[in-house]
Amino acid sequence: MFRPAPSPVYTLRGAGGPLNTLHFSCHGGDTPLLFSGSGKGAIHVWNLNTRRAEKIVEGHSGSSVIWVSTLQETDTLISQGRDMQVCLWDLSEGRSEAMDSVWTGSVGFCQCSVLETSPGTRLLAFAGQQTEEIKIIELPSKTPVCTLVPDAKLGMVMCIKLWQPDSGQGPLLVAGYEDGSLLLWDVTQRSMLSQAKAHPEPIMCLTFDITCLRGVSGSSEDKLSSWMLDRQNNLQLQDDVTLVNPGVSQLCVRGDGKLLASAGWDHRVRLFGWKKLRPLAVLQYHTDMVLSVAFSDHQDPRQRLLAAGSKDHRISLWSIYNEGADTG
Amino acid sequence: MESLAPDTEVRVAVAQCFQTLTTSTDTKDIVAALQTLHSYLDEGPASRTTSVQRAEFRRAHFTRTLEFLVSNIQADWLAGLTAAQQAELWDGLFLKGPPEQALLVLMEGVGALRASTNLDRLVSITEKFLRSGRLADLLWSYCLETGPSDSPQLRETLLGRIVALPDVTANRLHLKNKRLFLPQQYYPLLATEMLTALERTCRALKDGTDCSLTFVAQTLGKVCIQGHSALVLAVLAPRLSVCTRSDMVWQRVCWKLLQNVPQRWMESVLTGLVQAVGGPGALGRIIGNLVLTNKKAQFVITHKLLLLQYKYETQVLRIVLGYLAADRERRPLLIQVLQSVLQAWANPSAVKHTPLEQQLYVSKALLLSVSLLKDSELQELRSELLQCMLGGMQSHLDSSVVRIRRMGMVVGECLSSRMDINKTKLKFEYDQDEDTRELLSLMTPMPGGEAEAEHVNGVESPHETSETTPSTQNAPSQNKTKTDPDSDLDSDDELTPYDMSGDQEMSKASPPRYLRDCLETLISSEDSLRVELTLRVAEGLVRKNVFATREVSVQLTKVLLHMEDKYSINGFLTLRQAAMVALIVTDSISVTQYLTTEFYSLNYSLRQRLDILEVLTLAAQELSKPMTEKRNPSLGIAAGTDLTPYPGDNPVHWREVVEKRIQSKTKRLRKGATQPPAKPAPNRYAPVAGHFFFPLLSNYDKPQVTFDLLGGDHLVLGRLVHTLGLFMHLAVNAPIAAQMGCALLDFVWAVRYHVDQMVRRGVLFAVCAVFLSMPSENLLVDLSDRLFETRTWLADVAEEDPDADCRSLAIQSLVLLDKSLKKQLQDQQALSMES
Repeated sequence: MFRPAPSPVYTLRGAGGPLNTLHFSCHGGDTPLLFSGSGKGAIHVWNLNTRRAEKIVEGHSGSSVIWVSTLQETDTLISQGRDMQVCLWDLSEGRSEAMDSVWTGSVGFCQCSVLETSPGTRLLAFAGQQTEEIKIIELPSKTPVCTLVPDAKLGMVMCIKLWQPDSGQGPLLVAGYEDGSLLLWDVTQRSMLSQAKAHPEPIMCLTFDITCLRGVSGSSEDKLSSWMLDRQNNLQLQDDVTLVNPGVSQLCVRGDGKLLASAGWDHRVRLFGWKKLRPLAVLQYHTDMVLSVAFSDHQDPRQRLLAAGSKDHRISLWSIYNEGADTG
Repeated sequence: MESLAPDTEVRVAVAQCFQTLTTSTDTKDIVAALQTLHSYLDEGPASRTTSVQRAEFRRAHFTRTLEFLVSNIQADWLAGLTAAQQAELWDGLFLKGPPEQALLVLMEGVGALRASTNLDRLVSITEKFLRSGRLADLLWSYCLETGPSDSPQLRETLLGRIVALPDVTANRLHLKNKRLFLPQQYYPLLATEMLTALERTCRALKDGTDCSLTFVAQTLGKVCIQGHSALVLAVLAPRLSVCTRSDMVWQRVCWKLLQNVPQRWMESVLTGLVQAVGGPGALGRIIGNLVLTNKKAQFVITHKLLLLQYKYETQVLRIVLGYLAADRERRPLLIQVLQSVLQAWANPSAVKHTPLEQQLYVSKALLLSVSLLKDSELQELRSELLQCMLGGMQSHLDSSVVRIRRMGMVVGECLSSRMDINKTKLKFEYDQDEDTRELLSLMTPMPGGEAEAEHVNGVESPHETSETTPSTQNAPSQNKTKTDPDSDLDSDDELTPYDMSGDQEMSKASPPRYLRDCLETLISSEDSLRVELTLRVAEGLVRKNVFATREVSVQLTKVLLHMEDKYSINGFLTLRQAAMVALIVTDSISVTQYLTTEFYSLNYSLRQRLDILEVLTLAAQELSKPMTEKRNPSLGIAAGTDLTPYPGDNPVHWREVVEKRIQSKTKRLRKGATQPPAKPAPNRYAPVAGHFFFPLLSNYDKPQVTFDLLGGDHLVLGRLVHTLGLFMHLAVNAPIAAQMGCALLDFVWAVRYHVDQMVRRGVLFAVCAVFLSMPSENLLVDLSDRLFETRTWLADVAEEDPDADCRSLAIQSLVLLDKSLKKQLQDQQALSMES
């Protein structure tokens, strides 16, 4: 006996454009916030208590915003737009001013990845001007750290993820390319550690769980491919999950490592158990492609939310699989 | 003179004893007299009497003595004896003498006495008599050729007493009956005593003594004919089966026993036996070639068990046919059986007029006997088999009952594959069910030896199983411990999945949003995807927009009715049906008008006509139900999401849980009041019921070229009558119901004795519906002239119809009719009383 399919807790409307990216900020401060970047160039800051847009930041001169994130120690928002700019915003005390901007030169859709190395400094990885190029710079000094270019022709960089492994060596970066390959880079050595062909189609998105060194990538086909890093930093492909309809825009693993959410082109968000990729639920609400999913970082696990942003200009919020959280 | 001397001597002595017993008050004299009587029974060298005297006493005086004792049971002297003396002197007389005489006297006494201590005494002696194995002695004494010579009447009485002992005691003792006299204990006891007698016979035969088994056989026959065969044979058969395994003498004894069973009791013995034995081999050993020598046995085995009766398990069929197949001499009988079974199976009249269960039974018999045939025998029979098979297939496939058709298909498949006609065989598509699986399994021969072996050491098996069970219990627990760490690791398991049935493939084209687009697409589009989408949304569009529907309803119905599943769309039939039902519901009058006219017009396939009936039925059912407000729960989410509390994962869920908890904690003194009264809503069906009903009645007797309702198209007729019955049933409480009822009864009267059982079922269903829905006053007034005839007809069907459903429906309608009439008559009486 299955439980009936769930429905959203509430929805946020009025973004006025497709929602390319979502980012929660709920762990500090009094008001839980949700940042969204729209296809019309606006960044909405949603107050999750009032469920209204608290602030709208327009900064990419009307070009689509493809990535937003916040930096940990300050009220700093970082956003990336199709105008080839990555902007940093100071949101403290009600301000919304651009502090700084970085020109990336990339015309693609690859979202940046940011890694805080020490308080105050962070590494920003983004796709560069050349087709296969990934650039890493240090912020706020903007000094280039390295440029990673593979030897073979792999097509555009589609998605990247930068992290600092526990083993103490330099930061690692995994990147998905247009021909379906996954590459693992050592940033300090500037060398490629491993390569795997995860999909026959371009990789659209990937997510990587640092704690168990597993990742999963989605493509324009109807498969999710999961992979793993072994001790020698080799990428090893694991199980596939077949979806009912092809196309995944974004993947996200919940903070406790139990759930994986996928944003599907078929208007649906799918939830999987992260350990075995067992399908758990299909969230149907949107009437157009779902472009982004995010799990909230609430400190109380029972309040955790899942947000999904869609091309139909709506954000749906779901409260799901929170019931057992207080015991486990 | 010499020979008379002991005779008179004994008589005098016995008379003296009687005299003493009646008159004397001295205990010593009485004990002496009883001991004298005993002395005539004591065998052995210490005996005071000669063997001639003893024989004379047994022959002429024993019964008299016992009768005397029973009649003087209340005498004073008996009370004077000690318990030990009583047991030895008094009871002993009953237990030592010729058992048949003792039993007769005892049963006589039990039958004659009223409830008293004397009766208790007799009963306890009878119990002792049975417990000490005197029955076996009795039987054995008749087995010996030298046994008591007796008249047929006496023998008959004795048989009756032995067999009816539980009845006699139960009649007399009522609730105080002893356990031993209950049939459940007595008949197994009798069976073991028979076995003992048979065993003694075997021993005697080995020693070269002649024995007669007539009396034992008669006992067996009588017990079986009185209906205790299961109890007796449950003990006898397994034991005989074991004994006859290796011992030829035992086999001879068994054959002789069966041969000696009187003709009139043979059948019940055999039917009991085939149900009690473990396998065909055992049956063969026990009854030998009885079928060849005994006409009655042959008739029972080869004809009655197979063709006339059909209550037995498949195992019985296996045993009977296996028995026939096992021996070379019996083999011709198997072929003969196969021929007659085949004829019975293929007989078109049998397909129509015999109950379904019997047909299944015959099919099983047919398949079993075919599977037992050797290839060479099959070759000889081939042409006959083929001919009968084809004829039989045809009559089975013609039937309108699904199970019969399916049976025909399975039997056809099995026969054709067994006959191996040029390596081709029939293959049908049918859904597997219990019947078909069982039939198919019959073609694979059973490992008969194993089944028997199992039966033989049935006694020892409990030990084995008790030994094996721990090991089987261990196995899963080990597995469990192995899997446990796995399940700990796998944290996905704690997350229970939601219902994901809504996760369907997305289609690229967008569905039409207007009904007219729908119509257009269905008429002209060649794009399979669009047609499918259109069909999927059609029902929703029809229901959503009532006014648009009214404009195109007939046209759309026409298109849907003629639509074919060109693109093999998933769920095509249900989608089309749902759309048509929606059309009828939305625009009842014009669409029903169209459909009912089309039902009788030219150029429709049977399928389409059946479709018409089906959608009409569904629509009538929907209309007659009260309107439900909540149609689409998923729409509510978008509208009212803000109302749901934020942390609640699934508000309906917890509300249900709370509700349940309250319900369980609440004590209710009365049921019923808690539920809110149903909201009254107008019946949407009542005003249009006539439009559904009457047009279908109008043209049934005008045969078309393609459609002859009263001729070959039974299937449609059956469904039509059924549908009309349903319309009638749904029209309960509608003003028009009375007219509908009259018209319907008129209509079904013509087809009430139709050959097809589906039609008859439909007719009876319709009659039931009429009696249910028609107001009782109308029933009496409008049908008064025909009521009597209807009743006779229904009573006739309830008794005679071969179809079980028909019979039960007829009974149902009789009950309904009576109830309705009674109510009406009472109402009238009440009215007349008031006035």
